Amino acid sequence: MRALRVTALAALVATTSCGSGPGGRADSARLTYYETYDPRSLDPALSTDVPTGEMVTLAFDGLTQFDADARLLPALADRWTVEGGGRRYVFHLRTDVRFHDGTRLTPATVRRSLLRVLSPATRGGRAWPLYPIAGAEDYAAGRASDVPGIQVLGDSCVAFDLTQPLAVFPKFLAMPVTAIAPAPPPPDLGQRPVGTGPWRFVAWQHDDYLLFAKHAGYWGGAPAADTLLVRILPEPLTRAAEFEAGRLSVLEVPFGETARWRQRHPELLVEKPALRVVYVALNNRRGPLRDVRVRQAINHAVNVPEILATVYGGRGILARGAIPPALPGSDTARAGYRYDPPEAKRLLAAAGYASGIDLQLLRNASNIELARVAQAVQAQLGPVGIRVELVERDASSQREAARAGRTDMVILDWWADYPDADNFLYPLFYSGSFGPGGNYAFYSDPLTDSLILRARRTTDDAARVALYRQIDERVYRAAPWLYLWFPKDLWARRADVRGWEIPVIFNGQRWTGARRGSAGHPRLPGP
Amino acid sequence: MIRLIGRRVLLTVPTLLGVLVVAFLLLQVAPGDPVTAMVGERADSATIARLRAELHLDDPLPVRFGHYVWGVVRGNLGRSYITQRPIAQDLRERFPKTAQLALAAMALAAACGITLGVLSAVRPGGAFDRLAMLASYVGVSFPVYWVGLLLILLFAVALRWLPPAGSGGLAYLVLPAVTLGMRSIAFLARMTRAAMLDVLSSDFIRTARAKGLSEGRVVLRHGFRNALIPVITVLGLDTGNYLTGSILTETIFGWPGLGRYVLAAIEKRDLPAVQGSILFMSLVFVAVNLVTDLCYAKADPRIAYD
Repeated sequence: MRALRVTALAALVATTSCGSGPGGRADSARLTYYETYDPRSLDPALSTDVPTGEMVTLAFDGLTQFDADARLLPALADRWTVEGGGRRYVFHLRTDVRFHDGTRLTPATVRRSLLRVLSPATRGGRAWPLYPIAGAEDYAAGRASDVPGIQVLGDSCVAFDLTQPLAVFPKFLAMPVTAIAPAPPPPDLGQRPVGTGPWRFVAWQHDDYLLFAKHAGYWGGAPAADTLLVRILPEPLTRAAEFEAGRLSVLEVPFGETARWRQRHPELLVEKPALRVVYVALNNRRGPLRDVRVRQAINHAVNVPEILATVYGGRGILARGAIPPALPGSDTARAGYRYDPPEAKRLLAAAGYASGIDLQLLRNASNIELARVAQAVQAQLGPVGIRVELVERDASSQREAARAGRTDMVILDWWADYPDADNFLYPLFYSGSFGPGGNYAFYSDPLTDSLILRARRTTDDAARVALYRQIDERVYRAAPWLYLWFPKDLWARRADVRGWEIPVIFNGQRWTGARRGSAGHPRLPGP
Repeated sequence: MIRLIGRRVLLTVPTLLGVLVVAFLLLQVAPGDPVTAMVGERADSATIARLRAELHLDDPLPVRFGHYVWGVVRGNLGRSYITQRPIAQDLRERFPKTAQLALAAMALAAACGITLGVLSAVRPGGAFDRLAMLASYVGVSFPVYWVGLLLILLFAVALRWLPPAGSGGLAYLVLPAVTLGMRSIAFLARMTRAAMLDVLSSDFIRTARAKGLSEGRVVLRHGFRNALIPVITVLGLDTGNYLTGSILTETIFGWPGLGRYVLAAIEKRDLPAVQGSILFMSLVFVAVNLVTDLCYAKADPRIAYD
């Protein structure tokens, strides 16, 4: 008994006394960011979620990249040309790029790196940005041993032959999954990544923190700060406490706290519309929801501005279409479904449901804000005769049910993978994207399909944008969703943090310009 | 004693096998799919089908269970579907953190809870007793989540004495250990008090007093030692619970322990990670129970195990 007690105490002392936490120090050259859960891996091929994608973006580069405002910029390729009417892209690589281990980037590296992402042995699960390349899908399915569509040209160019013209293809190459890793990759790429990115990997304590140091030889110029600590903090109120205690550089303001922060820290807040849309997918192939009048009735019955203002802290812009206002092709002047319960009742009666209908609405507990919005939607649909049963599921089973089409309605948000209207139309409304592809409403319209495909092939930007506007209008009138809003991100930035702005797309912030100066007198950037 | 340990270790095998079967079947019945977490928000059916086949998710249940058990028997818990890391390595990284928090919480609980209980029992109904029991009543009633956030607001944000979250030196341990240990303190105090009151009214205590022993000696050597059994029970149960991870406390304080690991694995239907963790937790629980039984025997030699 005594021996046991002594060893237990010794173990306690030994485990508690070693090392002080990485969050403890607060030197001026260190920036501190956070993720809400541990990334899957740091291997670009496995970046299927936001935390993984953000971390991969720090250590790796793609051939192209997005800035914080989601503009497409050159990255490892300093320019590219389009040939063959949009079917062939030739990317010219920078010649001065080195990986963190000192090896040089070559076109052969790019080719082998992309083949690894596609390879079935990698089990990445998200190779679709490369599928437009001729032969890529066969290779991913194990039916071919090579991808003829990726070619090395000389010692500085890589060419891609596509199966058909695709105007948005350069944007696909800015996604984390297509970031370039060394070839052959180091033995444990996912745990100890070696990339070309602005931040060199230093350490990763799972569920605790990741530590990066600046890559002094970065082709785009070394980051302004020395180190970037990324902490894993799952609880929003704890994150807020960490920020208030001065231990986080930036913080997304928790939804429940919006009003308090606007009042207490207005000088720290920054706000920007995100490339994201919040909506309720109505299953267009199920029960009364098959009737367009029922779907329109739902859009008339819900007082969206009121829910946005009260439940969502006013952090959004009303959606009258699926394309966020920041993207070409959106139409902010479109006449929307106004809040009009009598009109909703009239439409329901016209559809033959004068006595009302019963529907289920799925929500999941891991997104508390949307779960609350779902409750408000339920309350507002009741008075017009749409009796809603809220079904609470966890995220995984909700997604499974929605993908299989076993739901009436499900509340969701859609994050942009690439900043283009195509990203809000092709996955969400093209009939080939049913279920797992993103079309959770099972909306299907042959004309919409053909317009979406035509827009993808159109290389003339003005013509493409006109098509997007036309598609969005057509889909909106068919009301496949209950359209809610485009969220505005609200972040707090510590007074001494400079050179950081909210990225409108998750991989648009590389933390290269961010630094800490004195709060009162902004320090001038060094030479 | 050796025979006791040997028999208990042998009994562990069917227990663990049962745990494996139940865990495996429950995960099959639960809706959700690990592949949805692997492919993310946008995927094509061909990729999903290929991944399912590669992970043998479409094989018959008995075949899959056989594969898994065969792996476990060879000491291989497999790799996570999601992160592709070996499960055993993940557990090795998390367990020391969980153990650190659990031991700190239990040390705190034992020190405070037992002291409060013994002191209350010395003068039942006295001012100290009433105050301590009120405090322990409050301690049992407050939800962990709320206590944790309040402690953070007070000690980390308002006073800035301690870090709000994370792991590292001793300072990081204080708030989570208090949060986690609070219920145990309260429960132990009540338990110790009740057991002590029971013992202190026995004949042998009267005899001890009649012999002229000091009150301290009577209470601690004769009274407390005999009141130990229920106290050890509570200590053992709580230690077992805490050593297998505490989801709420770990989440609030960003503590990188087993609880969060298992929660994330369940959310993503990461079957090998969930099964491996459950197996590991059962082992820990069995070990803690064994130690508890040994403590019983040590505390009360009358308890014969054969």
